Amino acid sequence: MPSFKLDGKTIPFEPGESIIGAARKAGVEIPHYCWHPGLSAPANCRMCLVEIKPAAGQRPIQLDVLSLDPKTGEYKYQPKPKLQPACQYPAVDGQEVLSDSSTHVGDARKAVQELLLLNHPVDCPICDQSGECKLQDYWLEHQKTQKRMRDEPIHKPKAVVFGPTIVYDAERCVMCTRCIRFMEEVAKDPVLDMRERGNLNEISVAPGRQLDGNYTLMTEHVCPVGALTATDFRFKARVWFLRSVKSVCQGCATGCNAWLDYDPRTSSVYRYRPRENAEVNKFWMCDPGMLSYKRAHEGRVAEPRIAGKTTTVQRALESAKKHFDGVPRESIAIVFHARYSNEDNWALKELAITLLGTRMFYRSGGAPGTGDDILIHADKNSNTAGLNQLAPSARPFADLLADIKKGAVTHAIALGGATPGDPEADLAELRGLKSLVTISAHDGPLTKAAAVVLPATSWAEAGGTYTNAKGLRQISEKAIEPIGSSQPAWKVLAELGRVLGVEPSWSKLKDIRARLLAVEMPSQPDVSAQAE
Amino acid sequence: MIKTCNHLTKHYGKPNGWSLDAYEREGGYKAARRVLTEMTREQVTDEAKKANIRGRGGAGFPMGVKWSFMPKQAPAGKPMYLAVNADESEPGTHKDRTIMEENPHSVVEGCIIACYGIGANKAWIYVRDELHLARERLWAAIKEAKQKGYLGANPFGKAYPIDIVVHTGGGTYICGEETAMLNSLEGKRGEPRLKPPFPAQAGAFGMPTTVNNLETIAIVPTAFEMGCDKFSQQSALHDLKDGGCRLYGVNGHVKKPQVIELAVGVTMRELIYDIGGGVTGDREILGVIPGGSSTPVLLPTETIHAPDEKSPLHRFHGVNVLDVPLGVDTMRIAGTMLGTCCVTVMAVGTCPVLAMENLMQFYRHESCGQCTPCREGSAWLKRVVTKILDGESSMEELNELHDIANSIMGNTICAFGEGTAMPAMAFLKKYRKDFEKYVRGEKTRKDARLTVT
Repeated sequence: MPSFKLDGKTIPFEPGESIIGAARKAGVEIPHYCWHPGLSAPANCRMCLVEIKPAAGQRPIQLDVLSLDPKTGEYKYQPKPKLQPACQYPAVDGQEVLSDSSTHVGDARKAVQELLLLNHPVDCPICDQSGECKLQDYWLEHQKTQKRMRDEPIHKPKAVVFGPTIVYDAERCVMCTRCIRFMEEVAKDPVLDMRERGNLNEISVAPGRQLDGNYTLMTEHVCPVGALTATDFRFKARVWFLRSVKSVCQGCATGCNAWLDYDPRTSSVYRYRPRENAEVNKFWMCDPGMLSYKRAHEGRVAEPRIAGKTTTVQRALESAKKHFDGVPRESIAIVFHARYSNEDNWALKELAITLLGTRMFYRSGGAPGTGDDILIHADKNSNTAGLNQLAPSARPFADLLADIKKGAVTHAIALGGATPGDPEADLAELRGLKSLVTISAHDGPLTKAAAVVLPATSWAEAGGTYTNAKGLRQISEKAIEPIGSSQPAWKVLAELGRVLGVEPSWSKLKDIRARLLAVEMPSQPDVSAQAE
Repeated sequence: MIKTCNHLTKHYGKPNGWSLDAYEREGGYKAARRVLTEMTREQVTDEAKKANIRGRGGAGFPMGVKWSFMPKQAPAGKPMYLAVNADESEPGTHKDRTIMEENPHSVVEGCIIACYGIGANKAWIYVRDELHLARERLWAAIKEAKQKGYLGANPFGKAYPIDIVVHTGGGTYICGEETAMLNSLEGKRGEPRLKPPFPAQAGAFGMPTTVNNLETIAIVPTAFEMGCDKFSQQSALHDLKDGGCRLYGVNGHVKKPQVIELAVGVTMRELIYDIGGGVTGDREILGVIPGGSSTPVLLPTETIHAPDEKSPLHRFHGVNVLDVPLGVDTMRIAGTMLGTCCVTVMAVGTCPVLAMENLMQFYRHESCGQCTPCREGSAWLKRVVTKILDGESSMEELNELHDIANSIMGNTICAFGEGTAMPAMAFLKKYRKDFEKYVRGEKTRKDARLTVT
C-alpha cells in the first residue's frame, strides 16, 4: 500500500484518496470546516491548508508576503511556501506533508480562524451548537487570540425559517456549503444555494420552495457551527449535559446506526445523531428516523393494566395466570412483534415451545409505509429480518384475525402494541379473543384489546439486538432508566413463565445472546458499527 | 522602442470597418482559409507556438503551449470546446472591447483557426454583460461569416464544422476568472472551480476546453497570415518568448489616454510621454499600475534587480522600471505583473491612500465569497483603509494591515486573492508615510484626491 509522511508519521492510503481522508482513517485530524467524508470537497474554508514538500529536484512554489519593522516603518518582502488544501490534494506515495509541525500552516489556520470569527456574533451562550462547535474547538486549538477587528461586525439575517424543521442564522454561518452539498448530493434535492457575494453571502432556499422533505435535519447535523439549528432541538438542552449511547434507529428496517443523546439527570432522551457505518447508513439518517427518538417517551405503557385499569405487576401476572387457567396450553396463540429485539422475541418463542408446548405462531408489526432509494425502507419495523430467522413459521397477522373469527384462536400472548392494519379495525377483530395478555412498551390495538397488559422497556431503556433488512444483526445500547414499572420484555416473559408454573431457562441478557448466536443465527456476524 | 502596427486596429474608426467587406478587403479570412484547407491540426499548434503569443488576459501564459494541452483525440462521445474570455472587467483595462466593437471579424477568424488547432467544433465567446454594442457586433460578424460559408458545417469547403456562440454574463468581475467564467457559461453561480482538473481536462460542461482571452484569439489570424515566427520577431522580447504585437493602453493622469497597437518592446516611459502625451499638468509621476488594478503599483524610482548574470533578464539589471520593455517577464522581475498591459498613471497630487481605498472597495464588492481569506480579508482591508482615511484608525491598526493581506496571499481558491493582496501590499510598502499622515491626523479625507489637473 502506498503511503506518505504527515508530520513524520507514515500514513497509508488508497490511490485517489485525499490527504485529509487518508489522515482521518489513520486517526489524525487535519482541522477542517467544509470537508465532510461523505460529501464532495469544495476546499472553501481553507482551514485544512498543509505544506507539501516539493518532490526531489522540484523547486518549491513560493509567494511573497510582507513583514514590518514597526520601529522604522519599513516593510520587507519575505517568501513563504504556497500551502495546499489537504481535502483537495490527493495523497502521493512518498510525499512529505507538514501539518501541525509547520509554522506556516499554524499561521494560516490562525488567520482563517480570525477571519471566520471576524463578523461572527460570538453569541455562544444562546447558541444550540455551543459545546459541539468547531469554531469553539478550533479557537482553542489553533487561535487563542482575540480578534483584532474592534468595529461593529457585518449584520445579516437571523432566525430565518428555512422550513418546518430548520432555522438559519446567517451571522453564524461560515459558508462551508455543507448543507447545500448535502441537499444536492445525498438528498438529491438541490433546494439550498448561496446568494449575494463577498462577506454578504448567505445560504438561501430556492424561491418558491422551503427546506422540506425527508432529509432536512441532516443539514443541521452537517453544519459545523450554529448557523443551522433544528426546530426540534432549539433551546432544549445544553449538549454538555447530554450523554450518548450507541443506538440503532427503530424507524424502519434499514437500522441506521445512531447516537441516542439523553440527559441522565432527568432520564430523558433529546435527540438522535447519525453514527457512521459504511455498511448501513454511511453518515446519514432521515428526518422521520431522527425524530423517532420521541418514541422513547411518547405513547408508552408505563404501568401494568388489568381490563384497562392500572395495577401492580404482581396482580397483573396473577391475573394473567387466571386467564389461562384450564386453557389447553398448546392452543394459546403466540404473537411475535417485528419492532422488538431478537432477545425479546427469542424469549417469547422459548416460552411458547418449551413451557407451553404451542407452535401457533403469528407475527405483528407496524404498518408498512413508503420507502426511497436513499435510506428509508418501506417496512417500518426494526427487526423483521430477525423475526423471520427466529420464527420462520410465524403466520401473518391477517391469519391471526381470520383464526380469531373462525374461533380457532381464543387465547393469545402478544408482544408489542402496534398492528399492521387499520388500528380501529384490528382492535375490533382482536376483541373477539376470550383473553389476550400483552407485553408491550407502546400502546396499540394489541394493548387496547388485552385483558392484561404488562409494561416493557423501549429500545432506549434496554440493550437489544435488531436485524436490519440487509440481515445485519446490530446491537442497540441502553440509554435511560426504565420508565414506570417497565422491564425488558424478555424479563417479563420469564416472570410470566414462572407464574404459569414453569421455571424459565434464561435469567440474563447474555444467556439469551449466547443462545441466539449459537443456535438461531450461527452465520450472522455482529456488524455493530464502529465509533466515529 | 515604439514600433507601431495596425494589424488589429486598421479598421478602427472607419465607416463600417467592422463589416465582412471591410475585413476581407484588407486580406481577412485568408489565414483561416489556408489553415483549414492546407494544414493539419498538429501543424497548426506547432505553428502557433512559434508566434510566442503570451496570453493577453493577464497571466501571460504562452498560447501555443496551452493549445497543445488539449487531448489529441476527443474522448469518446465528448465534444471539445474553445471558450473565449471577453469578460473584460479589470479596472483600468479597455482593450478587448475595442476589438469586439471595431474589428469583430478578427475574433471570428481567430476562433476558426483556434477551433481547428485544438480540435474543437464549437467556440463560446463570453462577453461582459454591459458591452451591448460588442455583443451585437460579434453576432453580426458571426452571421455574416455563416452566410459566406466560413462557419457552419463546411467552412471553406472543409468538412470540419465550426460554430460560434456569444454568451453574455451576469456582470461580475469574478466571471473573468476562467473557471468562474465556465461555471457562469453553464448557468451556474460564477464561482471559481478547484484546479485540477484544468479546463483542458474538464472545462465547459465538463468537456476539454481551451480558454483564451479575446485579444489572444483576435491576433491569431495576423500571426498565421504573417507567418508565426515572423510575427513573433516584431517583438523586442522575442528571445524571451514574448512575441509579436499587442494592444497597449494608457490611462489615468495622462494627457491623451488611449488604446494603441504596438510591437512588444515599448517602455512605460514611452507609453506615458510619447503615446500618452505626458502626465496631466506636466506633473511628476507618483506611481504606475502596469496592467490593471491587480498588478502591484511601481514607483518611478524603482529599478530592475536581476543580478544573476546567467539570466536572460540580466541585461535589464539596474535599469529604471519605466525604461524596460513592457513584457511578461520584465514586469515579473520588476516585482509586479504585466497583467493586461493597460498602464494606469497616478500623478503627484494623487492620494495613494484614497487610491488604495478605491481598489479595496472594488475587491470587497467583487469577491465571490466562496473561500474564507478572500471573503473576509478583502472586506477587512477595505474597512481599515476607510478608517485610516476617516482618521478613525490607530498606528497599531496600520501596523497590522499588511498582515490581513498576508493571510489572503496564496491561501485562496483562485488568483483573486493574490489580485487583492498584492496591490494592497505594494501600496502599503511604497506609500507607508502617506498612511501614517492620516493616522496621525496630519491629513484628513478632505485632502485626499484621485483627480489632478
